[in-house]
Amino acid sequence: MTAVTTKRPRQALSGRRLREWLIFLAFVLPNVALIAVFIYRPLFQNIYYSTLNWTLGSKFATPVGLGNYRDFFTSGEASKVLTTTGIFTVATVGLTLALGLGVALALNRKLPGAGFAQATVFAPYILSGYGVGLAWLYIFDPNIGALSAILRDVGLNSPEWINSPPWTLTMVIVVYVWKNLGYAAVVYLAGLQAVPGDLLEAADLDGAGPVRRFFTVTLPLLSPTTFFLMVTTILNSLQAFDLLIAMDKLGRGARTLIFDAYLTGFKEQSQAGYSAMLSTVLFAILVVLTLVQLIVVERRVHYR
Amino acid sequence: MNTSSNLHRSGLILDRRRFLGLSALGISAAALSACGGGPSTSGGGGGSSTVEQIDFSGVKPAKEITFWTSNPGDSIKVSTEIVNAFNASQSDITVKLVTAGADYEEIAQKFQTAQTGGDLPDIINLSDVWWFRYKMNDQIIPLDSLFEALEFDTDDYVDSLLGDYLYDDAHWAVPWARSTPLFYYNKDHWKKAGLSDQGPQTWEEFGEWKTKLAQASGAKFAFQFPALAGYAGWTLQNNLWGWGGGWSKEESFDITCNSSEAVEALSFLKDWVYKDKVAGVAGVDQIQDFAAGVASATVGSTGDLINAITSAKFEVGVAPLPAGPVETERICPTGGSGVGIPKDISPERQLAAGTFIKFLTEPEQAIKFSEATGYVPIRKSADPAAILKKTPQAQVAIDQLPNTRSQDYARVFLPGGDLEMANHMASILTENKDVQTEMDSLKTALEKIYTDQVKPHV
Repeated sequence: MTAVTTKRPRQALSGRRLREWLIFLAFVLPNVALIAVFIYRPLFQNIYYSTLNWTLGSKFATPVGLGNYRDFFTSGEASKVLTTTGIFTVATVGLTLALGLGVALALNRKLPGAGFAQATVFAPYILSGYGVGLAWLYIFDPNIGALSAILRDVGLNSPEWINSPPWTLTMVIVVYVWKNLGYAAVVYLAGLQAVPGDLLEAADLDGAGPVRRFFTVTLPLLSPTTFFLMVTTILNSLQAFDLLIAMDKLGRGARTLIFDAYLTGFKEQSQAGYSAMLSTVLFAILVVLTLVQLIVVERRVHYR
Repeated sequence: MNTSSNLHRSGLILDRRRFLGLSALGISAAALSACGGGPSTSGGGGGSSTVEQIDFSGVKPAKEITFWTSNPGDSIKVSTEIVNAFNASQSDITVKLVTAGADYEEIAQKFQTAQTGGDLPDIINLSDVWWFRYKMNDQIIPLDSLFEALEFDTDDYVDSLLGDYLYDDAHWAVPWARSTPLFYYNKDHWKKAGLSDQGPQTWEEFGEWKTKLAQASGAKFAFQFPALAGYAGWTLQNNLWGWGGGWSKEESFDITCNSSEAVEALSFLKDWVYKDKVAGVAGVDQIQDFAAGVASATVGSTGDLINAITSAKFEVGVAPLPAGPVETERICPTGGSGVGIPKDISPERQLAAGTFIKFLTEPEQAIKFSEATGYVPIRKSADPAAILKKTPQAQVAIDQLPNTRSQDYARVFLPGGDLEMANHMASILTENKDVQTEMDSLKTALEKIYTDQVKPHV
């Protein structure tokens, strides 16, 4: 009904379009400028730094071309750091999504106190990662921590959470999942509440039990939510940092790529160029991962 | 129809997929956001052996200056009092105290970042392992001309403590929160084990006590190694020296951490953990563990003294660090931090900073600071009576001062050397790795740091 069938005069159209464009630019330019200055300029600057041998704070640097990249990939550090990054990312994303969905299913009922329970589950997500890390460090402390006391009571020795690298990584994963579970749970809860009751009812009438209904109706309908959560949690997990620095002072257990970039750039030997190289590698991984997710994984997503 | 109008603005469509894509790109890019300014790649960078002292004649001190500290030894209260006293004592300069980090590493990180982003402090609290890096990077000034202009009584500073900051014939910092490691022991456990109330004369003597202690005290460990991150490289120098070794040769960059003496010293300690099973490593903080009764003995800083005494529910014994089989006289490293002045601020601010540093380290303030924290008094003329009245154990730290040795270059002059030591010690003491292999690997790492980062500057 509203379709425009008559052609508007060309002049008027371009005048109007020009005004639209000016308004558009007025809205967009400040943001684009901010993004260019604070995101893209540092991005390119960082790629440039990654080609330097530069000690942070020093006024001088030596260009080394791709030397930093060569050092990283040929020294054996790459496989070590990328393995840790992989384990950390897969474990945290997998557990956050699986447990988040579990919690969302538990909370998706009209029970008294459900609102309070939701708030409680979500609360850790908004806490500072560093603070959470410090608090949990005292719980995990194998000598004076609450967890070691509990383990002692049941006749077990506490693992060396802080000084043994595999246990440190486990500890950091557990705390990271605890902290971020609420985010996945709340997003899943919103997704669950959007699952149409009539579809579930129809499946019920067709004789599908609760498990079948979950796997054939609910889960496929949640796939856009799962996809969204996967993209965001992978990005967050690859950039997890505050918790790591609080819980793994020497970076022996949870030395992921971004943590490695911090340790080499700001602690240890203050090698800013090398650290910039690590950040660039992380950037490349994030871009590739996101493209793969958008192109390959999204095909399996059911949008209604 | 809708399609055609959408196509009309096809460049602006932002569906869910594009939104996610763009957000991801934005977030990924944010991961790269680095600091502001950058380095120059033309010339410079090499070390200059001549040190230029700043001429302060005719300079008027700035009115307002900032003092960055990480509040070592929980010193925020006493530092605030000293700053307030300075501000009240004259009307020309106002000092603002800024907590610029929770520890030496954090304050160093902030200072390094401030080099490129501006907003430098006027006085910086710099630790034993960081000041040389600042000196190499031309970030702090030599203080000798300032000592002269402001008539510092440099002869009154404890010689070894001021001497620690001497390089290229210039002083790069003034001692402030200076410490030595101490041997802490639980007097109740000592009594239960039938030991007399004193620390061991040598580490081997403690080796004879440890099993008895473990059995009698019921504690988890007879001895707990301090948390490795801040202590391994520092306190273990005493063990290495005791066995005739060291991280590097005295006053030299010749790395000797894999010598037979060093390996023997560390193997001796490793056996306590894996063979005798009476020792372990602190996770977060050995003083906290010690105060909770986890271990009968540990090693900590003099800066931990007040904290240990106030938080333990038993009587805390303090002794000088034991000697070894080769270096039979007790000998221990100095440590802790001093205060310095950044280079890239105006001479007016540097002069004002010097004026405050002079006040901060005067005997009266030095004693007040030591009394509140347990750090050693840095002035010879400071009367420790007030400290000893409150904390008699501090006598041990004061008596130990003449038996100190400046730290190995490998720890304090090689950037990141300290963390390399901590990492390798962690492999030995918490993962049961072979001492010789780890020390060989440490040597390689330290030599690489020297060649890449220090050699071009010295």
